[in-house]
Amino acid sequence: MFKVKRRVVVTAAAVIVVLLAVGLAVSFTGGSSQASDRQYLDGSTAAWLYKSGHRPLAPDFTGTTLTGAPLKFSAYKGKVVVLNFWGSWCDPCRAEAPTLAVLSEKYAKDGVSFLGDDVGETPTSALTFTRDEGITYPSVNDPSYQVAQDFGNAVLINNTPTTLVIDRTGHIAGVIYGSVTYAELDTMIHDVVSQ
Amino acid sequence: MTDVRVPGRTDPGGQPPKDPPEGAGPSAEDSHQRSFSQKNLPWWRWAWRQITSMRTALILLFLLALGAIPGSIIPQTGNDPAQVQQYFTSHPGLAPWLNRFGLFNVYGSPWFAAIYLLLFISLVGCVVPRTFRLVGQSRTPPPKAPRFLKRLPHSATYTSPLPPDQAVAAAESMLSGRHFRLRKPAGEDKTFWLSAEKGYLREVGNLLFHLSLLGILLCVAAGGLFGYKADKLLVQGQSYADTPTALDDFYPGKLATGSDLAPFSIKLNKFTADFIASGQNEGQPESFDGNITYTSTPGGPAKTYNLQVNHPLNVDGVKVYLIGHGYAPVFKVTDAQGKVVYNQATPFIPANTSTFLSDGVVKAANAAPEQLGFIGVFVPTAADAANGTLSSAFPAANDPAVSLMGYSGNLGVDSGVPQSVYQLDTTAMTKVSAQPHLLFPGQTWKLPSNLGSITFVGYQQWASLTATYDPGQDAALVFSILALLGILLSFLVRRRRVFVRAVPAEAGGGSIVTVGGLARTDASGGFEEEFAELAAELAGTAGQPAGTADGPAGTEPNNQSETEA
Repeated sequence: MFKVKRRVVVTAAAVIVVLLAVGLAVSFTGGSSQASDRQYLDGSTAAWLYKSGHRPLAPDFTGTTLTGAPLKFSAYKGKVVVLNFWGSWCDPCRAEAPTLAVLSEKYAKDGVSFLGDDVGETPTSALTFTRDEGITYPSVNDPSYQVAQDFGNAVLINNTPTTLVIDRTGHIAGVIYGSVTYAELDTMIHDVVSQ
Repeated sequence: MTDVRVPGRTDPGGQPPKDPPEGAGPSAEDSHQRSFSQKNLPWWRWAWRQITSMRTALILLFLLALGAIPGSIIPQTGNDPAQVQQYFTSHPGLAPWLNRFGLFNVYGSPWFAAIYLLLFISLVGCVVPRTFRLVGQSRTPPPKAPRFLKRLPHSATYTSPLPPDQAVAAAESMLSGRHFRLRKPAGEDKTFWLSAEKGYLREVGNLLFHLSLLGILLCVAAGGLFGYKADKLLVQGQSYADTPTALDDFYPGKLATGSDLAPFSIKLNKFTADFIASGQNEGQPESFDGNITYTSTPGGPAKTYNLQVNHPLNVDGVKVYLIGHGYAPVFKVTDAQGKVVYNQATPFIPANTSTFLSDGVVKAANAAPEQLGFIGVFVPTAADAANGTLSSAFPAANDPAVSLMGYSGNLGVDSGVPQSVYQLDTTAMTKVSAQPHLLFPGQTWKLPSNLGSITFVGYQQWASLTATYDPGQDAALVFSILALLGILLSFLVRRRRVFVRAVPAEAGGGSIVTVGGLARTDASGGFEEEFAELAAELAGTAGQPAGTADGPAGTEPNNQSETEA
């Protein structure tokens, strides 16, 4: 009777071990699946629009702008907001700045507000940079990345630059990781404005 | 499955290679065991036997230790990618080969995972059947007493005034008081005997050891899968929120992501480094103190803590260590139009950790019409400044100075390709002067050709922090202690059997009692003494105190016991 039992046990152990090994192997190769709650732009996984009903709520935040004025995110309620996480020390941020400047002008008449979150630096360099680039919208002075952390529960801000398009209800509609291109951000804002 | 005849993992239920005399006889498991030694096994059973054998496990454990050696002598991308880079530059021939074998990322390499998984399988394959066997054994009574106890490795004979049944009963109560498991004749058997067995804790300890090893392996795996390491350099007065974009380097485990970071914030209020000012150990560090304020959740209450080397901060299971420090000279740069385009503390990296001579760069990317860049050397205590070669005499900032090489032109930072903040790409730039320029705090260098100016305002200290999360760490400690306990048990406890047989004496109402002993395992000798003591006590409780030729003192240790061991 014991013989049979042991054989069963050994087989069971072998099965468990094989399953474990397969599980570990899969996790080691990192099988990532594309989320179904979003629609990727241009086949890239670095830019997407959330499908309606799946948009995460943007957290409320307050801060001080680079010029020292207080800023409340709640004051933007009811408007489409383009929020850009950047720093003048960040090379891809410098590269995308002209695009942001142009698009902020283009959509001003549609009531779209652009907003920056300047991380990891003091205002001196940042202000010189925005003036040089002709960026007129305000940026929160966020040297310690606090706003970026606040957004972590909604959309992880993995790196700078990251650009979010927030709809009129305060939900995050679109995300772009890395330098924005004119076409993708233009499409995204247009989509959200016309909803 | 595990019937390899190696001490420590030999199945205590199995027989030693040389079978003892009859009666100590093979139990059900033993015969099963033997059937495995037979040839004509299917290949998969043969493979399974090999992989779960003690020998394989030991080889794998050895390989694991061997595999960890390159992990500690070759720089690892997980710990120090900069050093790996450096290794590639200094060993251009060897480095690509090492890389091919994953030696720069040993713990994540397929071959290391293979060793690890095989060891895991080997341990599971060994431990699981053995656990069930132990349970089975604890339910199986000891074997019947052999007929001729004198043939056993240890035996003793004494006469008892009691009749055989009572003599055996006396022995029974004595052995049961010593926590032996007992077996008595049953059914048709009309002889008087008793079997007693003890020492199951040995196998329990052995299993505990193996299970703890498994536990340690799982803890290490948990750390590698769900743990992470995050580095951040903070200049005095700066703070950071623990979120991926704020980190200088983030090394998540295979199944960890940026959303697993604990949402704390840390501000470095003040960093102090004390160095021994004189004597033999002059310049050696005395103490490092990082005074920090932290909140464990956004908007939570702020607490202060004094970070020291080996005195980490613990926030929600994440340990924040102080791992380095240095100087961040403060520069103010104006461009050709007199506009302040740069005004901040700039971390310099120590090139010499005993004098803190440090290197760094300043990139004034907003300077117009030409961008300005500087490659600098910072010394905390300037020496030999007069003759042109700047060096540092002491690690503390007693007489700080910087030497700057200025460049103007295109920094190359606007193309969108990220650059290191510690390196200056001078391919599209020209030197503003042939010689580096020396500055002391408060001094300004007015650049030639009216390109602008740079002021060495002063300096700040910086500290680098590493936040590590290892979910398996505490459990690994517990398992290590259990493993130690287990191996101690298995070394100290011995499985042994004692048999008693009584026959009526030829004259009078008494009986002749024979006691036999058999130690089932070889480790920790000394059963001889225990047996002699047991036999003496048995004779004392059930027999005549003295006078017999084969009395308690007449214990006959059989030399066989030596060979059996």
